[in-house]
Amino acid sequence: MKSSISQIKASLRDKKISVEELYDEFLIKAKSSKTNSFNLLLDKENNTLSIKESQKRYENGNPLPLDGIPLGIKDLFCTKGIRTTASSKILSNFTPNYESFVTQKLLDDGSIFIGKNNCDEFAMGSSNETSFFGPVKNPWKNKNVPTNDLVPGGSSGGSAAAVAEGTCVASMGTDTGGSIRQPASLCGIVGLKPTFGSCSRWGIVAFASSLDQAGPLTNSVEDAALILNSINKHDFNDSTSSNHVREDYSFGINDKLDQKIKIGIPSDYLKDVSRDILSQIENTKKALIKHNVEFVDVEFKTTEYALSTYYILAPAEASSNLARYDGIRYGVREDGKSLDDIYLNSRTKGFGDEVIRRILIGAYVLSAGYYDAYYRQAQKVRRLIKDDFQRIFNDVDFILTPTTPNEAFKIGDKLDPISMYKNDIYTVPTSLAGLPGISIPSGLSTNGLPLGIQFIGNYFEEKKLLQIAALAEKELNFNEQ
Amino acid sequence: MSDIDIKRISYLAKLKLPHEKEEFYANSLKDIIKWVDNLKMIDTSETEPLHNVTEKTVSIRKDEIKKSNSVDDVLSNAPERAQNFFKVPKVVE
Repeated sequence: MKSSISQIKASLRDKKISVEELYDEFLIKAKSSKTNSFNLLLDKENNTLSIKESQKRYENGNPLPLDGIPLGIKDLFCTKGIRTTASSKILSNFTPNYESFVTQKLLDDGSIFIGKNNCDEFAMGSSNETSFFGPVKNPWKNKNVPTNDLVPGGSSGGSAAAVAEGTCVASMGTDTGGSIRQPASLCGIVGLKPTFGSCSRWGIVAFASSLDQAGPLTNSVEDAALILNSINKHDFNDSTSSNHVREDYSFGINDKLDQKIKIGIPSDYLKDVSRDILSQIENTKKALIKHNVEFVDVEFKTTEYALSTYYILAPAEASSNLARYDGIRYGVREDGKSLDDIYLNSRTKGFGDEVIRRILIGAYVLSAGYYDAYYRQAQKVRRLIKDDFQRIFNDVDFILTPTTPNEAFKIGDKLDPISMYKNDIYTVPTSLAGLPGISIPSGLSTNGLPLGIQFIGNYFEEKKLLQIAALAEKELNFNEQ
Repeated sequence: MSDIDIKRISYLAKLKLPHEKEEFYANSLKDIIKWVDNLKMIDTSETEPLHNVTEKTVSIRKDEIKKSNSVDDVLSNAPERAQNFFKVPKVVE
């Protein structure tokens, strides 16, 4: 079993290992890995100063909350002086001159970045197959067909695979429609998407600005809470950053629940799911019922419209956000006789198929004559989806769902976009409503592959959400299975 | 749903699709638009569009001058530069 952040910190404090040895251990493993989960690894020389300073803080007896912890960072976060590509050809030569808000907070708390994790191009995908740097392989294998390489999920697929194989202690990901929770589920780890507006989007390569949210992928719920403590802060540079009062998310995380908890299970989510998926929900129910938890059936009225709403709004925002890639100010420029030719050539050659597809969808639904019928209508339905969740939260504390409709599938298996988009059926509604969701590993499929469950909480109730997830994690005991 | 003019849409998005791929993207776009067409069945005449889910995040900072990107920082990733400018082909004849 892998060590938690608290356990690693204890070993560093007790001088069982030094910060440098710890870094070496992870780097050597990452370098020999065949999963392609990093676009870039940072040699020790890149981190000499931070390793030295971290060691000094341990020796002085005042280590910071994440001191010396080697983290992976999804290659969507701008990192000062470190190449940041969004796994796209068009940004393949881009080195930011500034640090994203979230990664700066992680550095301020003493963590050390081991590298940039592969992801779907501009975070658009559910399998990590759209990356310009090639697909990531899931460290898990189907025990009945062990020769097949499986996807890790996406878009934070490199982050999930790296944490699962132990080449970083945790990784920072982003979630627009499920990009943290879905890969966490397919790789057997924990993935937390906080409430929209909790963690600043400043310095994250933008995909869909009303949905994008940063969050951790970790080996345990407690690790997720520790990282959330660092990154969940108000930021004036993000106009949607919330200024609510933050809590200490790890303090008391394993305390006994002192009040009765009511969890809703949406019956409409469980129609037509496989036996394997259904048993994850059943097992969770059995495990929690003895802890003063009551389960009730709930039913959404809007589930069948969520994916349509998402696949109008997210591409619309993406087509607008990605207009900035023009080959003039940064990124790869393709030659052309006129300025217009440079725009056209740079964009057409710089973006991959899926990104082009989404830009086209976005341009279509925003174009004159279609704006009201598609974009505006989707924004209205988004309100109905949000209201639908609020109706259910009037009666329950949490909602429990499967994280994904299936286990990890073979690389190259899903070629048509719509069947790929359906992977996010359980995560997209939460994203549209802006609610926090956490995926934890709950068990194995008949093929021996990890499956996850998702707890959804009400706005800014991450503290409670992490507590219930920690309890379920302890009871389901996935890592001992 | 009317037919999709893929040439027009791609020009709006400043993309120049190669001829052999136009049909691929046009069909793909058509399938997806057909798939999302179910939203039209919902009555939203009484519903306001939702732009920002948390809807109460506005905070105003003090108007203080802060040093951020320098000209050199901003130009350091430019494919082509000339002195303190981004360089592009001649635009005005």
